[in-house]
Amino acid sequence: MADKARGSSDLYKETLLAGLWRENPVFRLLLGMCPTLAVTAAVKPALTMGCCVIFVLLCSNIIVSLMRNLLKPHLRILMFTLTIATFVTIADLFLRAYFPDMSETLGPYVPLIIVNCIIICRAEACASKNGLAVSIIDAVGMGVGFTGTLCVLAGVREVLATGMIFEVPVMPGAFVPWAAMGMPVGAFITLGLMLGLVNLTSKGRA
Amino acid sequence: MDKVRHFVEQSWLLIVSAFFFGLLLAGTDYALAPTIRQNRIDKLNRLAKGLLAEAEHFIEVEEKIEIESGKGKSKEEITIYKAVGEGEQCVGWSFSVGGPGFQGTIYLVVGVDAGFEKLAGYRVLSSTETPGFGDKIKYDYFREQFEGAPVGELKLVSTGKPEKIDSEIVAISGATISSEAVVAIMNDSVLQVKERMRKKGLIDNGR
Amino acid sequence: MLKDITVSFSPHISKPLSTRSVMVDVIIGLAPAMAAAGYYFRMRALILIATCVIACAATEWVCNLIRKKPCSLGDFSAVVTGIILALSLPPRLPIWTAVVGSVFCIAIGKMVFGGLGANIFNPAMVGRTFLAVSFGALMTTWTVPATLDANMSKVAPENILVSDRSEFRTQATPLAWSKMAIKNKLGADTYSEANFRGTITGEVGGCLGETSAIALLIGGIYLLIRRTINFHIPLAVLISAFIFGAIPYALDSEIHTEPTFAILDSGRYVQPFFHLTSGGLLLCAFFIATDPVTAPLTRRGMWIFGIGVGFLTMLIRIVGGYPEGVMFSILLMNGVTPLIDRLCKRIPAGGKPVVS
Repeated sequence: MADKARGSSDLYKETLLAGLWRENPVFRLLLGMCPTLAVTAAVKPALTMGCCVIFVLLCSNIIVSLMRNLLKPHLRILMFTLTIATFVTIADLFLRAYFPDMSETLGPYVPLIIVNCIIICRAEACASKNGLAVSIIDAVGMGVGFTGTLCVLAGVREVLATGMIFEVPVMPGAFVPWAAMGMPVGAFITLGLMLGLVNLTSKGRA
Repeated sequence: MDKVRHFVEQSWLLIVSAFFFGLLLAGTDYALAPTIRQNRIDKLNRLAKGLLAEAEHFIEVEEKIEIESGKGKSKEEITIYKAVGEGEQCVGWSFSVGGPGFQGTIYLVVGVDAGFEKLAGYRVLSSTETPGFGDKIKYDYFREQFEGAPVGELKLVSTGKPEKIDSEIVAISGATISSEAVVAIMNDSVLQVKERMRKKGLIDNGR
Repeated sequence: MLKDITVSFSPHISKPLSTRSVMVDVIIGLAPAMAAAGYYFRMRALILIATCVIACAATEWVCNLIRKKPCSLGDFSAVVTGIILALSLPPRLPIWTAVVGSVFCIAIGKMVFGGLGANIFNPAMVGRTFLAVSFGALMTTWTVPATLDANMSKVAPENILVSDRSEFRTQATPLAWSKMAIKNKLGADTYSEANFRGTITGEVGGCLGETSAIALLIGGIYLLIRRTINFHIPLAVLISAFIFGAIPYALDSEIHTEPTFAILDSGRYVQPFFHLTSGGLLLCAFFIATDPVTAPLTRRGMWIFGIGVGFLTMLIRIVGGYPEGVMFSILLMNGVTPLIDRLCKRIPAGGKPVVS
């Protein structure tokens, strides 16, 4: 009995860590590139986007996990999309009501969470095969991993592009902002260099 | 009959969950819609108050004003807000209008004085202009050229004195297209709105 | 890898250490332009060139260290990139900006692709584009040459980081003037006649190495004589730029046969010769477009490439939003180089190979 309990807690830990680093959605699975490139010009929108993804991922994983035994195999993608779309719309309405500025900054990228591969990937690969507890932990791990990488990326870009972080100046007065880092080109360069760095630090282990 | 049974067997989950998700969405929308509408009005008011300092609050004018934008290509309905100052006296008008910029649409909140004779300026509601160049239309030094400028055809020039308030607007160097866009939006909208409002008797016919 | 690429074309293949000797030749070819930059912009020019060269070389060394590859500094390609970048920068650019640009050139423009020979885009132009997009204001502040402004010679290294605008005189570049003439629909002829001599000798505002047409021509002819570059690309660039510069000029003077304004001429477009000598077109034609890595390999491909560069440059200069279009046209044509190469594939001896 104790063995089994330890086994499941190990599994939980494993699942959580997988999302945070070993199978990090951005750096490892290279999923969800669209928001990764689009909303990381500053930390605040990146964080908001991350929270939305966590919310949607959590809800969709719970629902999918609950109905996993009822799913018809050839209709499952339809069900996943329906579930995800519902929660994305809720998240979008919530943002518009309580964070109108953020909703404006993020623009179409909140509705676009519907087609964010991370969520459908987790529904397919994890939630539709595992119990509720594992699905929830997986959603939290993946969601936090995604949010974390987004924030790191956005932090680098915001500091270089504006000299500020969370809209608070952090650079010395003589700093001249690098406008290119706030543009799409900055996203590609930063993401590329970071992926290179991640590959460099874990060469041979991946 | 077999077909129907097969259909229901396969899709009952989909139909049921679609129904419940639909209910969930309807509920959320019902709960949040007033807040969302209020947010929009708040933002307009905040921007418009920056333009018309004497205004205490804004009243939505019932009638919508229809203008032709883009040289008559498309028609647009805009809502006019009446700025009311101390003693319920009209101190100006404000409305929001959009137009094509360098990239995407620029939405402006425009303020005009009570008699529609002088511009009170504009604020950028939303735009996607290039950071560092086009988004300088948000900066004071460009915007201040409009504050107090006469209502009428504005002209964009590339050299001149920005401090001088007249119908000549000095373009932002490096962002001529964005400057042009702002001037075009102002030219397109303000005169038409003035004309329509005079016809409807909202502002004095004598002036 | 490196040897493969250099032996694949051009007449200088038989020499040992070919990359290195080509690069040394290019450096010698750039010497007159560097000298002109030194003459017109004094200490600023020399400091900027030295900074870019050192920063480029250091970046290359560090990148090789990270990638655990043998040191490739010996081929001098980083030095050439540094010099070309420096020559395409405005004289008042702060040192740190030049360093950022140089690091970007080598790290993003060259090393991430796998080093010399594997890069798609010309590294110097990649770095310059990054600077132009990031630091728009700094990259378009032009100073008057020292020969016209006595104060310039006094600029000491300690004043470099001081960005007080009042201490030096700025001036619009010839191309900025041309752009203004297009916008205001007048003044092009008067201006280009008055300044044509300046663009030949280099006595105008502009990027360090781009102002003096004569110095660039000397360097280019040296390279042609040494057969370090062949004549196809420079000729194609210059001819197509001339033709596409001449078309609006010719059309314009036909339309405005009677003078619209009594005092000022109605010239909207500057003469095509003026386009050739001003801005970075000569530097581009002889030193940037001919980069063996990013240009097509066959003669027909080189003509297509050169004509494309000239056309795009003139398109941006005359129609586009920027006064100068060399940088973008080079990068765009670099992007289609693989396609051009595929289009102009040489048929090997023995007929067309059977492709399954």
